[in-house]
Amino acid sequence: MELTWNLIVTQILFGLALGAVYILMACGLTIIFGLLDVVNFAHGTFYMLGAFAAFVTISLFGNFWLGLAFSVIIVGLIGWITESYLIKPLYGKDPLYPLMLTFGFSVAVTDLMRAVFGTIGKIIPLPKIFAGSLMWEGIFIPRYRVFIIFLTLAVLIFLWYFLKKTNLGMIIRAATRDSLMVRTLGIDVPRIWTFGFALGVGLAGLAGGVNSTIVPALPDMGVEMTIECFVVVVIGGLGSLGGAILGGLIIGQVISFVSLLASDWSNVAIFLTMLCILLVRTRGLFGEAGRL
Amino acid sequence: MKVNKNRNTNLKTGSRTIWITLLAFLVAPHIISTPLMTEIMIFGLFALGFNLLLGHTGILSFGHAAYFGVGCYGCGMAVRYFGVSVWTGLLVSLILGATLAAIIGALAIKKRGVYFAMISMAVAQMFYFLALSPLKKWTGGEDGLKFIPPLSLKIPFFVDLQSPIPLYYFVYFVVGISILIIWRILNSPFGHLLQAIRENETRTIASGYNVTMAKFFSLVFSGLFSALAGGLFFVYLGYGPLQTLFWLTSGTILLMTILGGMHTFIGPVVGVAAFLYLQNKFSWIMEQWELVVGILFMILILIFPAGIVGTIKSKYLARKTAAQEVEEAE
Repeated sequence: MELTWNLIVTQILFGLALGAVYILMACGLTIIFGLLDVVNFAHGTFYMLGAFAAFVTISLFGNFWLGLAFSVIIVGLIGWITESYLIKPLYGKDPLYPLMLTFGFSVAVTDLMRAVFGTIGKIIPLPKIFAGSLMWEGIFIPRYRVFIIFLTLAVLIFLWYFLKKTNLGMIIRAATRDSLMVRTLGIDVPRIWTFGFALGVGLAGLAGGVNSTIVPALPDMGVEMTIECFVVVVIGGLGSLGGAILGGLIIGQVISFVSLLASDWSNVAIFLTMLCILLVRTRGLFGEAGRL
Repeated sequence: MKVNKNRNTNLKTGSRTIWITLLAFLVAPHIISTPLMTEIMIFGLFALGFNLLLGHTGILSFGHAAYFGVGCYGCGMAVRYFGVSVWTGLLVSLILGATLAAIIGALAIKKRGVYFAMISMAVAQMFYFLALSPLKKWTGGEDGLKFIPPLSLKIPFFVDLQSPIPLYYFVYFVVGISILIIWRILNSPFGHLLQAIRENETRTIASGYNVTMAKFFSLVFSGLFSALAGGLFFVYLGYGPLQTLFWLTSGTILLMTILGGMHTFIGPVVGVAAFLYLQNKFSWIMEQWELVVGILFMILILIFPAGIVGTIKSKYLARKTAAQEVEEAE
């Protein structure tokens, strides 16, 4: 296959849309890690739940936007309950326990979903306004992928505004820095943690919902997504939102180009990228020195 | 101080439990099904290797499937493509496991616990995908490594590894020696250093020990024994399943280790035995076996983190100290 400029630009756009989903995932993971100091090993499972929430809502009500909204709300609620009843009892114990717990959660929920929905992929029909592609001088991109890119951009702007300009956002940033101090000021920090967890997994749910018109929703896709999300976060530097965004962009491009040029290696390439970056810069691109 | 005292007793009672365990394994295949016991021994070695890192050094690896799988495929490919003997195959497993651990260690061992867990999980997944598609020609892809000639030992004397009982005692021999070596490592000054790191890393650094180096070698030993277990698994099955590299393998070994008790020497083996026995008994009936596994995982972490052996031991020790206190009071 000859690499023309048109093809390269097309591939970059596809990579951007792929990366957008990873950015949503990685931002959620980063918020949770920053606030709770917990790496959510069930992050991909919440992504999978988001896809199924969107699927069920859309098949019940037939409205795509309602489906997207519900993928956030339902997954956020599940996250709220999970944090309150399963993760909260583990604070102050071995820092590795929450990891193991969320891992167990992901194994159990995956199997439960398998029992309920079977192992055949469920795909959401594309809404009519997003049918077809945009064409320009031999560069083409499906409208829906453009929508994903802009949706992610909107979410990022919203997140930025929320974290920087609102009171709650300020409390979240302060609790990320020094939760004890915030507690001393009379703020109910455990509730902020629960909220942060729900927000983080809600983003994962949105990623699952928005991606389920492209990738069929399968119970087993969760853990793979978790691991890919880890790669994104390790590349960018754990704990940094900017790093999560950069990592997502890089991984999107890597997958897009490697699956074009050497499709056998597309699954392996992201891990090789991670290892290369770790070789050059062990704390990831934007990682804080000292923290890891 | 009290904690340290308990740990010392742990190690002393350890030597007795090891001999009891080895003796139990010697007679077990005549009482319980031989294939099940073989599997328990292989995964027992895997869990002991894994626990060297988790329970004794305090580092969580979420990618031990990589060592197990690389050991399994390494032994298998050496036997299949180069026609080497089983002994050489196992040696290949050992070398590959240690090398892989050294590479991962060089890249990531300095990292905080969570970060190391994430990187190790990603690396293991990379090997899974490597075996699945790009190296399909050699690994057999999804079907696993197949078409292996019947395995047997020629040195020091002929052993037919196709029939269960000779195979069992071959595995018993290798696992038994490995258990003794692991126990020796943990009772050496190096082993004590590992436990010091687990208990208080900052203080160990302050005492002038090279903590990074100790962690690195702990990982190398752990990878080595896990890969050996993988090689034995290949010999036991007679083929190399792709499942050995799957992330669920890393999760299962973690679950079995916690189930038995990660802060004890023999706990992981007990956990493996309990888990595999239950799986053998019930997974036929229960279609949703993984659901059970996941829930068991959460219950263990939430209410029962010391595991079977850990809980029994602390009950036993509590009773003993209570009895002592009564004695002293009188």
